[in-house]
Amino acid sequence: MEANTIKITMDGKEIFPEEGMSILDAARQNQIRIPTLCHHPDLSAFGGCRLCMVEVDGAPRLVASCVTPVRDGMEIITSNEKIIHSRRTILEFLFAERNHNCMICPDSGDCELQSLAYELQMDHLTVHSSFDTFPMDVTSPYLALDHNRCILCGRCVRACREISGARVLNFIHRGPDSRIGFDFDDTRGESTCHACGVCLQTCPTGAVVNRYRTHYSVKGHDKRQWRKTESCCPLCGLLCAVTATTADNTLLKIEGNLVKDTDRPDGGQLCFKGRFEVLKTKGERLTCPMVRNHDGNLEATDFQTAMDLVSEKLNTIRDNHGKDAVLGLVSSMCNNETLGQFKDLMVRGWHSGAIDTLDGDHFRTLLKTRRHLPGSFDEASWKTIPDSDFILITGASPGRTHPAINSLIHKTILEKNIKVAVIGNSNPGLPMTSFFLPITREQEPLLIKAMLKHTVEIIGSPAQKAPDWNRICKETDLIDSAKLLNDSGLDKASKMQFQEMVKAYATAVTPLIVTGEGFTGTNDPSGLDDLLDLAMLKTYPSATRPGIILLKPFGNSAGAWQTGIPSIEPLSGSVNWKGGLFILSGEEGEAHILSGPASAVDFLAVISPFFPDPLARRADILIPAPTWMEEDGTYTSLDGRQTLLKPKLYDPPNHIQHMQDILSSLAEKAGWIPA
Amino acid sequence: MKLPKIATVWLEGCSGCHMSFLDMDEDLLNIFSRVELTDSPITDFKDFNFQDVALGIIEGGIANEEQVEIAKKLREKSKILMVWGDCAVFGGINTLRNAFSTQEILQRGYIETESTVNGAIPVHESLPVLLEKALPVNRFVTVDVYVPGCPPSPDAIAYCLNEILQGRIPVLPTDMMHFD
Repeated sequence: MEANTIKITMDGKEIFPEEGMSILDAARQNQIRIPTLCHHPDLSAFGGCRLCMVEVDGAPRLVASCVTPVRDGMEIITSNEKIIHSRRTILEFLFAERNHNCMICPDSGDCELQSLAYELQMDHLTVHSSFDTFPMDVTSPYLALDHNRCILCGRCVRACREISGARVLNFIHRGPDSRIGFDFDDTRGESTCHACGVCLQTCPTGAVVNRYRTHYSVKGHDKRQWRKTESCCPLCGLLCAVTATTADNTLLKIEGNLVKDTDRPDGGQLCFKGRFEVLKTKGERLTCPMVRNHDGNLEATDFQTAMDLVSEKLNTIRDNHGKDAVLGLVSSMCNNETLGQFKDLMVRGWHSGAIDTLDGDHFRTLLKTRRHLPGSFDEASWKTIPDSDFILITGASPGRTHPAINSLIHKTILEKNIKVAVIGNSNPGLPMTSFFLPITREQEPLLIKAMLKHTVEIIGSPAQKAPDWNRICKETDLIDSAKLLNDSGLDKASKMQFQEMVKAYATAVTPLIVTGEGFTGTNDPSGLDDLLDLAMLKTYPSATRPGIILLKPFGNSAGAWQTGIPSIEPLSGSVNWKGGLFILSGEEGEAHILSGPASAVDFLAVISPFFPDPLARRADILIPAPTWMEEDGTYTSLDGRQTLLKPKLYDPPNHIQHMQDILSSLAEKAGWIPA
Repeated sequence: MKLPKIATVWLEGCSGCHMSFLDMDEDLLNIFSRVELTDSPITDFKDFNFQDVALGIIEGGIANEEQVEIAKKLREKSKILMVWGDCAVFGGINTLRNAFSTQEILQRGYIETESTVNGAIPVHESLPVLLEKALPVNRFVTVDVYVPGCPPSPDAIAYCLNEILQGRIPVLPTDMMHFD
């Protein structure tokens, strides 16, 4: 026996749990089942529902096993007639207290309260239901809260505090009027809830309802046929660990893996995109290849014909007009394998001189900055957010593009009281920022320039100078910050705030800058240069990388940029492309493609899971592809440091070929056969 | 040999439980060879003067005065009373109306519905008065066997009937229990 283990007897069996463990954990460790409702393995113990009552040392009063620690020599009985009667009575009280009407509940079949009623054979209520009605909150597009089905177990309250860190949910009112409230009794829509959905994941009943999941998606499938797949979410590059539940090749739900012992600071929460919007239909599914006929209408054809047409056309263009006549564009939402294959196909198959990703402009801006080398990711990891004491958000809207980062910043504000400054045209849904400077995107670089000058002044002459110290000093000497501030159009109060913010940044120990498309989306790298200088001033010498987090436009931008697909020189619209092949993923952010080089192409083939509107009107051939959920593939994290395999969640429809097969067959026809 | 008598009634419900009963397939022949069905909505009876029966069965909850009377009469005449379905066991879908007053319900149903022209709430001495709330059967009479489900599966119904015919009072096993 180890030093810190003790001996107890449970249901006549001797077991050796660790000291300090709860009776419930000791039981679970030894495969002894004790039913629970308010308890959740990833949340703190609550002891509220009293369903886990067990008998200890024959005492007449049962104790709640989830909050009672084991003691040496304890004799525990987890189930006898008295205990079962007590549990069933508690269940009856829970059912009678509110309106638990399974047949009209969207979570029927996926409900812990219901399964327990079945398990304990609660075939009727001996207490009378009140049939009092409670309100319902349907103010969020993602989540509904039906107080009629709430058992006040407080799992959502604990999850909101312990996992999401948002602390939006709480108990309000008292006694029979108790219910779950948002902030100061706001509606969910008006509250600071950012719809991470961890309350939905932990709710044991149908009180928190997923509005993106239909009633019959659960009821129509036998729970015994549910399949769980562990995967990761590639939507924004954070690669959050998820578990997808599918049945009959249909996606029922996506949940976060709430494991605490990873290096991820987010604790496994997801965001509104990864949990809800993935369930939304992205548009009309392209079910078979389509070819534009002589009348100019798209008509269905078979794969072979479509592939032959694409390769024949592009081969002719290559042979007649040379390599610069074929344009290839790929979405950075595609996985690394597709990106690599696409590059090989275009460069070695059609000798294309012009390939790019949809976010190539952002990459090129980054390349033009002083510090950047192609392929290197000279930036901080998003995982350092909880360790920073000041965060500046500028030129980015993490609440919209990378909600989990927003959530992590929010959690850090609440837990560590750090200062957060936002420079931009809208507050990114962070309710407790210290500084908010409302300013247009175009003027953000002005403010950063002024900030750089002030920061240099405040820092003075440090003992260890950052690498470019002399250059920065020389440049900032020339900056007229008063003029910049005037040009930025800030009012007097905002200017005062600006000064305070600079002081806070300059005196912070581990500050971080979060930026994104506002600075990378322009062709002018000077703003980003100033930001990098600003970051370097503070991070040197403790770290060699600037304390800056670069939010990239697509989920696998980092992977696409590492693959080297975006050309170093921008594709000029004046070149006369004759043919083009585009690969799209069907995710948001791809719609602007027509305004770019695509408009200049004569012949256009598009590989996409959906009808790429409005591109479908331009395309000559459409080839259906699997969505990211239907294919295995690797994705590279936002900071470029981690590449993870994302297993598929379910299979593509029968008649849709894998991306790998589509691209291999095109490559073969283009005359390039991979070794 | 005298067969044990069974009577079934259909109160505030949709007849789904009786459909499920008829859906027992060959079990139905097995059951009918062992019992005598005296009254049932299947026979479209209108006379609620039940004989003494071994087993009375109620489908549906109780939502008006006539249903209270029928339930009480059947209870009086039955040795064992079994209730079928969520409506009879918990109140079921009928309890959705408990959030409103009966006046509001009738107003909505007979006058305000979009397809109604010149509607009126029917009033007649032969029409039973609605109770303030739709309620489960055990609010009015003692129930011996509960078969929840909407509807209960034919297996669940067959299981309970067989158990009762063999002299036991069944409690539905976990794998046959469902509330939807």
